[in-house]
Amino acid sequence: MREVVSGALVLIGALFALVASVGILRMPDLYTRMSATTKVATLGVGSTLLAVAIYFGELGIAARALAAIAFVFLTSPVAAHMIGRASYFIGVPLCRETALDELRGHYDLRTHELESVCFPELELQLPDLQVGRLRIPDRAAVAGMTLAETELRQRHGVTVLAICRGTYTIPNPDGDVRLLPGDELILIGPPERLDETAEALHKNDPTSITGE
Amino acid sequence: MSLADLILYIVLPAMSLAMLLAFVRLVRGPTLPDRVVALDLIGTLGMGMIAVYAIARDLPVLLDVAIVLALLSFLGTIAFARYLERRVGP
Repeated sequence: MREVVSGALVLIGALFALVASVGILRMPDLYTRMSATTKVATLGVGSTLLAVAIYFGELGIAARALAAIAFVFLTSPVAAHMIGRASYFIGVPLCRETALDELRGHYDLRTHELESVCFPELELQLPDLQVGRLRIPDRAAVAGMTLAETELRQRHGVTVLAICRGTYTIPNPDGDVRLLPGDELILIGPPERLDETAEALHKNDPTSITGE
Repeated sequence: MSLADLILYIVLPAMSLAMLLAFVRLVRGPTLPDRVVALDLIGTLGMGMIAVYAIARDLPVLLDVAIVLALLSFLGTIAFARYLERRVGP
Protein backbone atom coordinates (compact mmCIF):
# COMPACT_ATOMS: atom_id res chain seq x y z
CA MET A 1 0.00 0.00 0.00
CA ARG A 2 2.76 2.40 0.96
CA GLU A 3 4.57 1.47 -2.24
CA VAL A 4 1.51 2.29 -4.35
CA VAL A 5 1.01 5.70 -2.75
CA SER A 6 4.66 6.69 -2.99
CA GLY A 7 4.80 5.35 -6.56
CA ALA A 8 1.91 7.60 -7.53
CA LEU A 9 3.52 10.59 -5.79
CA VAL A 10 6.84 9.94 -7.54
CA LEU A 11 5.06 9.79 -10.90
CA ILE A 12 3.31 13.09 -10.16
CA GLY A 13 6.68 14.58 -9.27
CA ALA A 14 8.20 13.43 -12.57
CA LEU A 15 5.25 14.87 -14.47
CA PHE A 16 5.62 18.24 -12.74
CA ALA A 17 9.35 18.22 -13.45
CA LEU A 18 8.68 17.69 -17.16
CA VAL A 19 6.05 20.44 -17.24
CA ALA A 20 8.45 22.85 -15.52
CA SER A 21 11.22 22.16 -18.03
CA VAL A 22 8.87 22.53 -21.00
CA GLY A 23 7.74 25.81 -19.44
CA ILE A 24 11.25 27.15 -19.04
CA LEU A 25 12.02 26.24 -22.63
CA ARG A 26 8.85 27.45 -24.34
CA MET A 27 7.69 30.51 -22.38
CA PRO A 28 8.36 33.81 -24.13
CA ASP A 29 10.18 35.85 -21.48
CA LEU A 30 12.04 35.48 -18.21
CA TYR A 31 9.11 36.38 -15.97
CA THR A 32 6.72 33.83 -17.47
CA ARG A 33 9.48 31.21 -17.42
CA MET A 34 9.95 31.86 -13.73
CA SER A 35 6.25 31.55 -13.13
CA ALA A 36 6.38 28.09 -14.72
CA THR A 37 9.49 26.81 -12.94
CA THR A 38 8.93 28.07 -9.41
CA LYS A 39 5.42 26.76 -8.93
CA VAL A 40 5.77 23.53 -10.83
CA ALA A 41 9.23 22.56 -9.63
CA THR A 42 8.25 23.28 -6.04
CA LEU A 43 5.18 21.07 -6.32
CA GLY A 44 7.18 18.34 -8.09
CA VAL A 45 9.91 18.23 -5.47
CA GLY A 46 7.28 18.49 -2.76
CA SER A 47 5.49 15.38 -3.97
CA THR A 48 8.73 13.38 -4.44
CA LEU A 49 9.85 14.23 -0.91
CA LEU A 50 6.41 13.29 0.38
CA ALA A 51 6.85 9.97 -1.42
CA VAL A 52 10.16 9.47 0.44
CA ALA A 53 8.47 10.21 3.77
CA ILE A 54 5.67 7.73 3.06
CA TYR A 55 7.89 5.00 1.58
CA PHE A 56 10.34 4.78 4.48
CA GLY A 57 7.68 5.45 7.08
CA GLU A 58 10.16 6.02 9.92
CA LEU A 59 9.79 9.03 12.11
CA GLY A 60 13.35 10.31 11.67
CA ILE A 61 13.31 10.06 7.88
CA ALA A 62 9.79 11.40 7.51
CA ALA A 63 10.69 14.38 9.70
CA ARG A 64 13.71 15.14 7.55
CA ALA A 65 11.66 14.83 4.35
CA LEU A 66 8.97 17.14 5.71
CA ALA A 67 11.63 19.62 6.84
CA ALA A 68 13.06 19.57 3.33
CA ILE A 69 9.57 20.22 1.89
CA ALA A 70 9.11 23.15 4.28
CA PHE A 71 12.53 24.50 3.29
CA VAL A 72 11.78 24.31 -0.43
CA PHE A 73 8.34 25.88 -0.01
CA LEU A 74 9.86 28.77 1.96
CA THR A 75 12.97 29.44 -0.10
CA SER A 76 11.71 28.95 -3.65
CA PRO A 77 9.41 32.04 -3.65
CA VAL A 78 12.11 34.15 -1.99
CA ALA A 79 14.71 33.19 -4.59
CA ALA A 80 12.24 33.76 -7.44
CA HIS A 81 11.28 37.15 -6.05
CA MET A 82 14.91 38.26 -5.77
CA ILE A 83 15.76 37.11 -9.28
CA GLY A 84 12.64 38.73 -10.73
CA ARG A 85 13.35 42.00 -8.93
CA ALA A 86 16.99 42.09 -10.02
CA SER A 87 16.01 41.28 -13.61
CA TYR A 88 13.44 44.06 -13.66
CA PHE A 89 16.08 46.55 -12.51
CA ILE A 90 18.68 45.52 -15.06
CA GLY A 91 16.07 45.83 -17.78
CA VAL A 92 15.41 42.26 -18.85
CA PRO A 93 12.72 42.82 -21.50
CA LEU A 94 9.12 41.71 -21.09
CA CYS A 95 7.73 39.68 -23.95
CA ARG A 96 6.44 41.66 -26.93
CA GLU A 97 2.80 40.79 -26.36
CA THR A 98 2.80 42.32 -22.86
CA ALA A 99 -0.09 44.78 -22.69
CA LEU A 100 0.32 46.26 -19.21
CA ASP A 101 3.37 46.77 -17.03
CA GLU A 102 1.95 48.04 -13.77
CA LEU A 103 5.35 48.43 -12.12
CA ARG A 104 6.60 50.82 -14.74
CA GLY A 105 7.23 54.26 -13.33
CA HIS A 106 6.71 53.10 -9.77
CA TYR A 107 10.30 52.10 -9.11
CA ASP A 108 13.03 54.57 -8.40
CA LEU A 109 15.74 52.99 -10.54
CA ARG A 110 18.57 54.61 -8.59
CA THR A 111 17.57 53.77 -5.03
CA HIS A 112 15.51 50.66 -5.96
CA GLU A 113 12.62 51.86 -3.85
CA LEU A 114 9.02 51.15 -4.75
CA GLU A 115 6.51 53.96 -4.45
CA SER A 116 3.19 54.97 -5.82
CA VAL A 117 4.04 57.92 -8.04
CA CYS A 118 1.04 57.50 -10.31
CA PHE A 119 -1.03 60.56 -9.44
CA PRO A 120 -1.77 59.49 -5.85
CA GLU A 121 -3.63 62.62 -4.80
CA LEU A 122 -6.01 62.34 -7.76
CA GLU A 123 -6.96 58.81 -6.79
CA LEU A 124 -7.45 59.93 -3.20
CA GLN A 125 -10.19 62.33 -4.23
CA LEU A 126 -11.82 60.09 -6.85
CA PRO A 127 -11.98 56.60 -5.39
CA ASP A 128 -13.86 55.13 -8.40
CA LEU A 129 -11.32 56.33 -10.93
CA GLN A 130 -7.93 54.92 -11.71
CA VAL A 131 -5.07 56.23 -13.78
CA GLY A 132 -3.26 53.52 -15.70
CA ARG A 133 -0.48 53.10 -18.19
CA LEU A 134 -1.04 50.93 -21.22
CA ARG A 135 1.59 50.02 -23.78
CA ILE A 136 0.41 49.51 -27.35
CA PRO A 137 1.60 46.06 -28.47
CA ASP A 138 3.59 45.84 -31.69
CA ARG A 139 0.90 44.11 -33.71
CA ALA A 140 -2.06 45.87 -32.16
CA ALA A 141 -4.87 46.81 -34.49
CA VAL A 142 -4.91 50.36 -33.13
CA ALA A 143 -1.26 50.98 -34.03
CA GLY A 144 -1.36 53.52 -36.85
CA MET A 145 -4.87 54.76 -36.09
CA THR A 146 -5.52 58.26 -34.87
CA LEU A 147 -6.85 58.71 -31.38
CA ALA A 148 -10.28 59.70 -32.76
CA GLU A 149 -10.46 56.56 -34.90
CA THR A 150 -9.86 54.26 -31.92
CA GLU A 151 -12.96 55.69 -30.18
CA LEU A 152 -11.53 54.72 -26.81
CA ARG A 153 -13.85 57.04 -24.93
CA GLN A 154 -17.01 56.01 -26.78
CA ARG A 155 -16.33 52.26 -26.76
CA HIS A 156 -14.47 51.75 -23.51
CA GLY A 157 -15.22 54.79 -21.39
CA VAL A 158 -11.60 55.74 -20.81
CA THR A 159 -9.90 59.06 -21.56
CA VAL A 160 -6.34 59.46 -22.76
CA LEU A 161 -4.49 61.96 -20.55
CA ALA A 162 -1.14 61.72 -22.29
CA ILE A 163 0.90 59.60 -24.68
CA CYS A 164 4.45 58.64 -23.74
CA ARG A 165 6.50 58.02 -26.85
CA GLY A 166 10.16 57.16 -26.34
CA THR A 167 11.66 59.94 -24.31
CA TYR A 168 8.96 62.57 -24.73
CA THR A 169 5.36 62.94 -23.70
CA ILE A 170 2.38 64.31 -25.61
CA PRO A 171 0.10 65.87 -22.98
CA ASN A 172 -3.65 66.14 -23.68
CA PRO A 173 -3.36 64.64 -27.17
CA ASP A 174 -5.79 65.75 -29.89
CA GLY A 175 -8.01 63.35 -31.78
CA ASP A 176 -5.76 63.45 -34.82
CA VAL A 177 -2.63 62.21 -33.01
CA ARG A 178 -1.61 58.91 -34.56
CA LEU A 179 -0.80 56.01 -32.20
CA LEU A 180 2.40 54.09 -32.85
CA PRO A 181 3.38 50.65 -31.62
CA GLY A 182 5.33 50.99 -28.38
CA ASP A 183 3.50 54.15 -27.33
CA GLU A 184 2.30 54.23 -23.77
CA LEU A 185 -1.12 55.64 -23.09
CA ILE A 186 -1.84 57.29 -19.75
CA LEU A 187 -5.52 56.55 -19.31
CA ILE A 188 -8.08 57.58 -16.74
CA GLY A 189 -11.29 55.67 -16.15
CA PRO A 190 -13.02 53.17 -13.87
CA PRO A 191 -10.63 50.29 -13.01
CA GLU A 192 -12.71 47.62 -14.77
CA ARG A 193 -12.91 49.65 -17.98
CA LEU A 194 -9.13 50.07 -17.91
CA ASP A 195 -8.74 46.28 -17.70
CA GLU A 196 -11.23 45.89 -20.54
CA THR A 197 -9.24 48.35 -22.67
CA ALA A 198 -6.02 46.46 -21.95
CA GLU A 199 -7.64 43.23 -23.08
CA ALA A 200 -9.06 44.82 -26.23
CA LEU A 201 -5.64 46.25 -27.15
CA HIS A 202 -4.06 42.92 -26.49
CA LYS A 203 -6.38 40.95 -28.76
CA ASN A 204 -4.99 42.57 -31.93
CA ASP A 205 -8.51 42.40 -33.26
CA PRO A 206 -9.70 45.53 -35.02
CA THR A 207 -13.38 44.95 -34.17
CA SER A 208 -12.77 44.53 -30.45
CA ILE A 209 -11.29 47.96 -30.08
CA THR A 210 -13.45 49.88 -32.53
CA GLY A 211 -16.57 47.77 -32.10
CA GLU A 212 -17.32 47.58 -35.82
CA MET B 1 6.61 -3.73 -11.82
CA SER B 2 8.19 -2.89 -8.52
CA LEU B 3 8.62 0.64 -7.22
CA ALA B 4 12.37 0.49 -7.89
CA ASP B 5 11.73 -0.47 -11.53
CA LEU B 6 9.17 2.30 -11.92
CA ILE B 7 11.71 4.82 -10.64
CA LEU B 8 14.67 3.50 -12.61
CA TYR B 9 12.88 3.05 -15.94
CA ILE B 10 10.27 5.82 -15.96
CA VAL B 11 10.77 8.50 -13.31
CA LEU B 12 14.53 8.98 -13.54
CA PRO B 13 14.53 9.15 -17.39
CA ALA B 14 11.67 11.67 -17.28
CA MET B 15 13.55 13.82 -14.78
CA SER B 16 16.73 13.52 -16.84
CA LEU B 17 14.80 14.71 -19.88
CA ALA B 18 13.51 17.64 -17.82
CA MET B 19 17.06 18.44 -16.76
CA LEU B 20 18.19 18.30 -20.38
CA LEU B 21 15.49 20.79 -21.41
CA ALA B 22 16.49 23.10 -18.54
CA PHE B 23 20.09 22.74 -19.71
CA VAL B 24 19.07 23.90 -23.20
CA ARG B 25 17.70 27.08 -21.61
CA LEU B 26 20.92 27.42 -19.58
CA VAL B 27 22.97 27.35 -22.77
CA ARG B 28 20.64 29.52 -24.86
CA GLY B 29 20.13 32.27 -22.27
CA PRO B 30 19.60 34.87 -23.70
CA THR B 31 20.08 36.97 -20.54
CA LEU B 32 22.01 36.14 -17.39
CA PRO B 33 18.86 35.93 -15.21
CA ASP B 34 17.48 33.31 -17.65
CA ARG B 35 20.55 31.20 -16.97
CA VAL B 36 20.22 31.70 -13.22
CA VAL B 37 16.60 30.54 -13.33
CA ALA B 38 17.61 27.52 -15.42
CA LEU B 39 20.38 26.70 -12.94
CA ASP B 40 17.92 26.99 -10.08
CA LEU B 41 15.57 24.57 -11.84
CA ILE B 42 18.44 22.14 -12.45
CA GLY B 43 19.26 22.27 -8.73
CA THR B 44 15.64 21.59 -7.80
CA LEU B 45 15.43 18.72 -10.30
CA GLY B 46 18.68 17.28 -8.93
CA MET B 47 17.15 17.32 -5.48
CA GLY B 48 14.11 15.41 -6.78
CA MET B 49 16.32 12.88 -8.58
CA ILE B 50 18.34 12.20 -5.42
CA ALA B 51 15.11 11.76 -3.45
CA VAL B 52 13.68 9.19 -5.88
CA TYR B 53 17.03 7.41 -6.09
CA ALA B 54 16.95 7.11 -2.30
CA ILE B 55 13.65 5.25 -2.66
CA ALA B 56 14.83 3.04 -5.53
CA ARG B 57 18.02 1.94 -3.76
CA ASP B 58 16.51 1.97 -0.25
CA LEU B 59 19.13 4.40 1.01
CA PRO B 60 17.45 6.99 3.26
CA VAL B 61 20.85 8.59 3.94
CA LEU B 62 20.66 10.22 0.51
CA LEU B 63 17.89 12.46 1.80
CA ASP B 64 20.53 14.51 3.64
CA VAL B 65 22.34 15.02 0.35
CA ALA B 66 19.12 16.33 -1.19
CA ILE B 67 18.67 18.80 1.69
CA VAL B 68 22.22 20.08 1.32
CA LEU B 69 21.72 20.46 -2.43
CA ALA B 70 18.55 22.51 -1.83
CA LEU B 71 20.45 24.73 0.59
CA LEU B 72 23.31 25.32 -1.83
CA SER B 73 20.97 25.95 -4.75
CA PHE B 74 19.03 28.54 -2.74
CA LEU B 75 22.19 30.30 -1.57
CA GLY B 76 23.56 30.32 -5.11
CA THR B 77 20.41 31.89 -6.51
CA ILE B 78 20.32 34.55 -3.78
CA ALA B 79 23.97 35.37 -4.35
CA PHE B 80 23.38 35.69 -8.09
CA ALA B 81 20.38 37.98 -7.52
CA ARG B 82 22.39 40.22 -5.19
CA TYR B 83 25.22 40.33 -7.68
CA LEU B 84 22.91 41.24 -10.57
CA GLU B 85 21.26 44.00 -8.58
CA ARG B 86 24.52 45.44 -7.26
CA ARG B 87 26.10 45.48 -10.70
CA VAL B 88 23.80 48.27 -11.87
CA GLY B 89 22.73 49.64 -8.51
CA PRO B 90 23.91 52.75 -6.66
